[in-house]
Amino acid sequence: MPSSCAVSTVQVRPYHENSSVLTGQELMAQNPYRPWPARITAITELTATEKLFEFRLIDDKIREAFHHEPGQFVEVSIFGVGEAPISISSSPTKQGFIELTIRKAGAFTEILHEMQCGDIVGLRGPFGRGFPIDEMRGHDILLVAGGLGIAPLRSLINNIHDERSEFGKVTIIYGSRTPKEIMFRNQFEMWRHRKDFDLHLTVDHPDETWDGAVGVVTKPFAELEIDASNTYGAVCGPPVMYRFVIDEMRKKNISYDHIYVSFERHMKCGMGKCGHCQIGHQYVCLDGPVFNYWEAKNIQGSM
Amino acid sequence: MAGAGIINTNQVVYRPRVVVVGLASCFGCQLQITNIESHLMELLGQIDLTYWQLASSDPMPQYFDVAIIEGAVTTQESVETVRTLRRKADTLIAIGACATTGGIPGMAGGSLGLADRAAEVYEKGSLPEACGEMCVPRPISSVVKVDAEVRCCPIDSYDFVKTLHRLVYGSNRAQLTSTLCGECKRNETTCFYAEGTLCLGLITRSGCGARCVNLGRPCNGCAGLSPDANVDSARDACVRYGVSVERFDKALEMFNQFELDAVLEQEQAQKAQDKDEATTNQASSEADASDTGSRG
Amino acid sequence: MTRTGEDMLYRVIEAKELPALVSAFMESYEVVAPVKSGSAYTFEAVSSFDEIELNYPTTIASPKKYFLPPKETLLEYDATTNQVTNFAAEITPRVIFGAHACDINALNRLDLVFRDGRYPDPYYIARRKATLVVGVSCMPTETCFCHLWDSDEARFGYDLFLQDIGGKYLVSISSVEAANILEAACNPREATDEERIEFRHVTRKRQASFNKDIPDIQEVAMLMDAFHSDPFWEELGKRCLSCTACSAVCPTCFCFDIQDTLDPDGKKGHRERVWDACTSPQFALVAGGHNFRPDGRNRVRHRMYHKLNGFLANHNHMLCVGCGRCVKACKANINPIEVLKFFERKGAEDAE
Repeated sequence: MPSSCAVSTVQVRPYHENSSVLTGQELMAQNPYRPWPARITAITELTATEKLFEFRLIDDKIREAFHHEPGQFVEVSIFGVGEAPISISSSPTKQGFIELTIRKAGAFTEILHEMQCGDIVGLRGPFGRGFPIDEMRGHDILLVAGGLGIAPLRSLINNIHDERSEFGKVTIIYGSRTPKEIMFRNQFEMWRHRKDFDLHLTVDHPDETWDGAVGVVTKPFAELEIDASNTYGAVCGPPVMYRFVIDEMRKKNISYDHIYVSFERHMKCGMGKCGHCQIGHQYVCLDGPVFNYWEAKNIQGSM
Repeated sequence: MAGAGIINTNQVVYRPRVVVVGLASCFGCQLQITNIESHLMELLGQIDLTYWQLASSDPMPQYFDVAIIEGAVTTQESVETVRTLRRKADTLIAIGACATTGGIPGMAGGSLGLADRAAEVYEKGSLPEACGEMCVPRPISSVVKVDAEVRCCPIDSYDFVKTLHRLVYGSNRAQLTSTLCGECKRNETTCFYAEGTLCLGLITRSGCGARCVNLGRPCNGCAGLSPDANVDSARDACVRYGVSVERFDKALEMFNQFELDAVLEQEQAQKAQDKDEATTNQASSEADASDTGSRG
Repeated sequence: MTRTGEDMLYRVIEAKELPALVSAFMESYEVVAPVKSGSAYTFEAVSSFDEIELNYPTTIASPKKYFLPPKETLLEYDATTNQVTNFAAEITPRVIFGAHACDINALNRLDLVFRDGRYPDPYYIARRKATLVVGVSCMPTETCFCHLWDSDEARFGYDLFLQDIGGKYLVSISSVEAANILEAACNPREATDEERIEFRHVTRKRQASFNKDIPDIQEVAMLMDAFHSDPFWEELGKRCLSCTACSAVCPTCFCFDIQDTLDPDGKKGHRERVWDACTSPQFALVAGGHNFRPDGRNRVRHRMYHKLNGFLANHNHMLCVGCGRCVKACKANINPIEVLKFFERKGAEDAE
């Protein structure tokens, strides 16, 4: 290289608390790979393998500008360990904090599970397209979650809860393998007798503590009365669950484009570049993770 | 174990206690650890190295967290050693081709059989006592569960550090099983097959950066067969590029004899099973026939 | 020298003026160009015009490495505080001298993802801005099929394009930066009628020189959908060696992994992006162990699908530019030509 070359640079600088003059969106425009420091402010044990982490973005400006839709995700960084995409479990109505439900499922989440309140991680996002909450307003909502699928749906559920009068009939079906694996059990136990939520908790394998329903998540459909023309469905769970739940929703005549599914892939960049989350021609991180069933049907290899 | 050493704002740093043990090998991989040179002290600052034959005559301690093993298992005694290490350590790391594939000692296996192989060297009945109770040389993973492997002959010093870091601090980096040719393309070296020269990159696990090819020599497979190795397709490639399939198969034996024997054994077991099933099916269909017969 | 007016888009220079042009570039840029490397060619930094092999057939890998390096540090951090530290990625001003049309078209595809997408990539954009691209015309090799994907002509995305018209070059001038250097180093003049006609001749000759054994298939994207479940993909996929050579040499494969590496002291470290490939067995693996594309059939089909259908749906262009590099790189004979031949066989079967 000749000595006269005018070498330019792309710079990444540390943040000092409360020093940023730019919002997250502006910083993202500068460099979307750059995580923002966030502090763990609360940790709740949900099950033997899942914890709910509450994070607070340290920088005021970034925190105040952070808005998400239910169903969107963030990239969490532990430097030296790596990054992982995690869907947001808190409602957009809860400003200032970001809650993530994290299952111990690999090296990254193992380390995260060892972290404590006060520890710092990196966050960037939110990424992706969430549930069409505005479109859903004024309609009946049927939510079906299986296992960890409750993580993104909880954001939607709590959003609906906080703005309950804006929605019609709300039905929640949540299936777990065992009663011990039910997440947010306290919240749901309290809702069991509420009139404004039709809640169906079901488990595959009951134990002596369980007096609720037993069976797969499609079982409660038999007794559901659904006004198909006025209902939005939202589904999230393990890959095998989708086909069965969607079949049930279609049997109830809910329109293709009123059934929303959330896909799980390993979104490494979150920005439609790295390719890891591709299904067919779609990027789950950019075009999803929430798709309506018509869109999903048109993606080769989606189900 | 992963994350034991995680350093965060309000956590205490724990230095895992490490032992390094050598089995049948040339000790070259242990030397590679010392070859980190300028970084050796930094590395030692992160672990509590309590036993290392190569560096100190202190006896092995009773308790430790990480066992690093170099070399192949070649005797009943070493089988026991490995089992003991597995029992005591949270984490077990196999380093080098001998420990991860059976390596060069592994060549003593194969169709000739261990006894005949020994007889080629020692007169019948005069096996030196030092040989111990020999077994077919094998990788550590065939005896006990291995948590991490550092591959190649010899290991890369920095690859070793990276593996140790993964175990101490944790890492979500995927453990790749892709084969070597991709690395050659990233290095933009010319392919040996273009000139009809045998190279084992087609089926050998990537990760070494294709060091040998960069130095002008074909891959000899020291990283071992990838679990995704497509040996049949590689043989077809040999035919297309005018490389003898026989030579390809022979070359594979240098670092993969144990694996090849295992595959062969599996195939034979499968064949035997198929045969059994065929016999059973035949028997049951005969039974059906006789049923029909009695009904008729 | 003063600019002479609006007709500066095309000029002619003599072949013997090229060394002066390269020298002029070298004054303020690193010049990378095709050079001989063993029995093949590669793009490398050169220190004199004599090293350059401008009549090269193709290179092992494409010049994409200058925009998306195989390994690139994104940021540095301190793992003890879990925070980012000061980092500056240095971008070298560079001239890619002698890129073929397919590679320029490939670069234009990368622009769609890394420059024009919803999240502009600062590293890619800085490199793209700091790089001048000088294209050069070529004649097809037996593995070239750029004409099938409309990639045999570079209409934009370069600074200069040199069309060989026999001992001289018809130069398309696309940027002011390159125009200034060209004018200072050479004596660009207006093309004569003969030269314009010669240009027509060489492009006709190129068009006629493509390997006719490579079938020209209509509606490839639609066919990719229609034959998505065909046993052909099993045949093709079970040959895959899982080596990822295809995507390493591909000028448009842009998938990457993001990896953290600690310094040997275990305290500081860097986050880098590293080329990855959808043909790598772990590419679609998620935490918890499920692999969405667990076998060669699914991986090879996905790669071809993205090249010949998926990208088109999002960006209105085929992602394959027909450079033919994967045809040479893949030792298992998996490449888009095999897919085209499959579609041709299908047509023949139906005709019976």
